[in-house]
Amino acid sequence: MSTAVNVKPVKEKVPVHLRVLRVVYYLIMICTVLLYLLPFWGTVTTSFKTAEEALTTNPLSFPEEISFDAYVDSFEELKESLITSVIITVGGALGSVALGSVCAYGLSKYRFKFDGLFFLLLSAAIYLPYQAILVPLLKTISNLGLYDTRRGLILIHIVYGMPMCTSMFRGFYSDIPDALIKQAMIDGNGPWQIYRKIVLPNTTIATVTVLVFQFTSVWNEMLFALTMGGFDCMPATIALNQMVGALSAEFNMQMAGSIWLTLPVLLLYMFLGKYLIRGYMAGAVTAS
Amino acid sequence: MAIKKFFNRHPMLPLIIPAALLIYFVYVALGWNLWVSVSDWEAYSLEASYGFGGFKWYAQMFKDPQFWISLKNTLLLFLIIPLCLLIGLLLALLMDQGLKGTSLFRNLILLPFALSYVVTGTVWAWMYNPSSGIINSILKMMGISTQGLLWISSQEMVMPSIIIALVWQFSGYVALIFYAGIKSVPQNVINAAKLDGAYSPRIYRKLVLPALKGSMSSAITILAMYALRSFDFIWQMTQGGPGTASHTLPVLMYRETFEKNNFAYGAAIANFLLVLVLVLILPITYYSNRKK
Repeated sequence: MSTAVNVKPVKEKVPVHLRVLRVVYYLIMICTVLLYLLPFWGTVTTSFKTAEEALTTNPLSFPEEISFDAYVDSFEELKESLITSVIITVGGALGSVALGSVCAYGLSKYRFKFDGLFFLLLSAAIYLPYQAILVPLLKTISNLGLYDTRRGLILIHIVYGMPMCTSMFRGFYSDIPDALIKQAMIDGNGPWQIYRKIVLPNTTIATVTVLVFQFTSVWNEMLFALTMGGFDCMPATIALNQMVGALSAEFNMQMAGSIWLTLPVLLLYMFLGKYLIRGYMAGAVTAS
Repeated sequence: MAIKKFFNRHPMLPLIIPAALLIYFVYVALGWNLWVSVSDWEAYSLEASYGFGGFKWYAQMFKDPQFWISLKNTLLLFLIIPLCLLIGLLLALLMDQGLKGTSLFRNLILLPFALSYVVTGTVWAWMYNPSSGIINSILKMMGISTQGLLWISSQEMVMPSIIIALVWQFSGYVALIFYAGIKSVPQNVINAAKLDGAYSPRIYRKLVLPALKGSMSSAITILAMYALRSFDFIWQMTQGGPGTASHTLPVLMYRETFEKNNFAYGAAIANFLLVLVLVLILPITYYSNRKK
């Protein structure tokens, strides 16, 4: 007999009525999932149908014969814009994450002139309704010769993604003990050496989290894509929008196109979902 | 050498680049937009003009029936807040029952939130399609309505339809926020309460729900921001139609600015939206930050 008190979690006996309750809970859970997934089910089944079948059969029914026509045809329509979207997303996400990380590092670990003001301006920008800067932005981007170019959209996503990224990184960097930074300083490292040698290697999870979050938000974005691009430089969201407008009765094409557009996000969700959810949580903390 | 010395004395100097970008693209742009709204930039002209033109566009805005429809619809979208909070809270409580498959459940109900509004707009426009959409098919299968309803094709039903779809997209996210709030209540506090003989509903009421205030203000802020900025989803699903029945302020701003080249008017609408954000969001953030 050891002297240590063995702390057991408090566990109640489960009476019958609570067991019934658990069954009810499971039923509610299953019904909720079915309800939430209903649109996805219809999207997938319809995307495998032919155009006539999509129009005439019950939208929930399984396709009589699985047809990949809609996938092939819609990919043909979307492929250029998917490439455009990949370039813009990678550029915009990497850029805003880099700037956000640098700003958050400076703001959370150092004092400098106007740091309070800078932080205030950054935080307030999170709540900016983009409509309120669209006209000046259009003028600026046109004056720079970046209208309807990938570079222009990348610049836009870097700038307007930065406030959110900074705010998310600040939350993560505040967990780095100041003593660690001080010790490195005593060892003769400058702030940016410390950033490179200590902060970045120790916060890869934070970086991946913000990157995944930013990647999905740039990929999914439509307003900037529509107003600052859309002819030569057409992101996939706009291409899908136009395809839906042009093929308003071909639901199999619309659904297959939607799936192409969702695929990168879905892959991220499946393989890096943990980080994406962490990012959503960090975003929620930021917004309060 | 002198540059290096200066840099050593001011190590945070590189931050001037993001700061400059931020100030120009956000704050200078906001001021510029304010000026555009009172400038003499003519309607339907791509040629910018920056002389003072008075407040005629604001006067025009308050006389414009489309503006009032858009404002009403924008405020109507705030209904997603109580709906998402209620459903989100119930789902979060369900997730807290220690049932098997909870994390899979969480991932599945959160999935809609990860998707582009363009995708969810496309899918829901089809769901609501009167003849070949899912919802009417189900109504028919269940024998509720043989005709089916018009949903987004009808002036009266379009806003409720949009709200239902948005609740579908956002409630999983709200549930996630609440669930994290519930999990932040220390387990030993709950165990102590159980030892003292408290039963579950009482623990929830006295211990868990009060701890959710922070989560609630986050959720409210996010949903309110969405309601105010709502463009992508509505643009994809209805383009503000039928007629102007689902115009919101961002949709009206887009139509005036980018379809009619009515830049000064668009700027005025956007500034009204900005004021709305300041009036509605600032108190929430102030209130929740003050308590921290």
